[in-house]
Amino acid sequence: MSTVIKKIKNNMFLTFVIFIYVFLLIFMPDKGIKSFNNSLYYVKEMLTIMPVILLLTSLIEAWVPKKTIENALGEGSGAKGFIFSFLLGSFSAGPIYAAFPVCKMLIKKGASLANIIIILSAWAVIKIPMLANEAKFLGPNFMALRWILTTISIILMAIITSKIVKKEDIPMKDISNKEDDVLSVDENFCIGCGLCTNVAPEHFIMQNKKAKMSTMILKTEESDKIKFAIDKCPAKAIKYI
Amino acid sequence: MDIFTLSLWIITIIWFVVSIIKDKNKTTNSIKMSSGLMRNIIGEIIGILFLIGLLLTLIPPDIIKQYLGGANVLLSTIIGAFVGSITLIPAFVAFPLVGSLVNAGASITPVVAFLTTLTMVGIVTFPLERREFGLKFALTRNLLSFGFAVIIALLMGVII
Repeated sequence: MSTVIKKIKNNMFLTFVIFIYVFLLIFMPDKGIKSFNNSLYYVKEMLTIMPVILLLTSLIEAWVPKKTIENALGEGSGAKGFIFSFLLGSFSAGPIYAAFPVCKMLIKKGASLANIIIILSAWAVIKIPMLANEAKFLGPNFMALRWILTTISIILMAIITSKIVKKEDIPMKDISNKEDDVLSVDENFCIGCGLCTNVAPEHFIMQNKKAKMSTMILKTEESDKIKFAIDKCPAKAIKYI
Repeated sequence: MDIFTLSLWIITIIWFVVSIIKDKNKTTNSIKMSSGLMRNIIGEIIGILFLIGLLLTLIPPDIIKQYLGGANVLLSTIIGAFVGSITLIPAFVAFPLVGSLVNAGASITPVVAFLTTLTMVGIVTFPLERREFGLKFALTRNLLSFGFAVIIALLMGVII
């Protein structure tokens, strides 16, 4: 019983839609059936594009050399830095809030604020698999035009922001490097992809779509598996505090 | 299947085969990761797809045309941008929703504003952004994104 309640709680929106359908089928069955048939077209279209987007996202995750890109984003990296930032944002998976810790890490590594704005914005709007989905439902011309206009806007935004905001405005206090730091998953940023629980199931578990530590790990006890999980976390949500 | 989707399938499958041959472990690991991501939003995807059917059946096209295809483009665009800023649905499911509205007669401009702010401006995630980057950065980025979303939308309305 409690698992049913949990399922409903995790899928409030879907439950709400199902509820409307049940209501319609009882009181206005013809409308209910018509709605269902109208939706089937979109379900079919979604099924032809969803698997390929999933596969594409995985392949990008596996083969795009993000480390090389990340090391070329410093101050004065110029046009090359801009292009690399676009690539990094466009080839990443997950919603924009997953980009926050990644960008914070890049600032610490010395990336310029203009480049950070580009990564955040590109991460939000112009991810490659999303473009495929947009072209599917709104047409390739629509997608291409929006992409061009958005790209220009992002560059302008990056230039404007770097004039207004300086590096001193960014809070930098959470850098920690003591031996007794404990490993933890930041719930705010975890996107629930399950990578860490696949890599090191003895240390990470999934709870309510978020990863959690199942054991206490001190910095001195770090194993290769844990290192791998920290490194590969797409949201950089696993860290010592 | 349209030519666009078909070519995407072909390219991706070729890449997939090469990937499996080169490094089977790496490939399966990242597939596991993105399936995890997908599993988290599958409920919302199904929900939105069936909501589209409801919208198309229960709201007559005339109403959609009147409110989203109407004369006051600037106002509907700003409303579109605002709704996008406070909504938190994955962009992935927004495209079929928006596509169905456009097919039913909504004009392009408010729809583009909605799509752009949906992903770039986050009022719900603003506290997180402020914590990581400070108030000045978060405010500047979100305000600029909102402004540019409206500009992009108006330009697209003129061009298409």
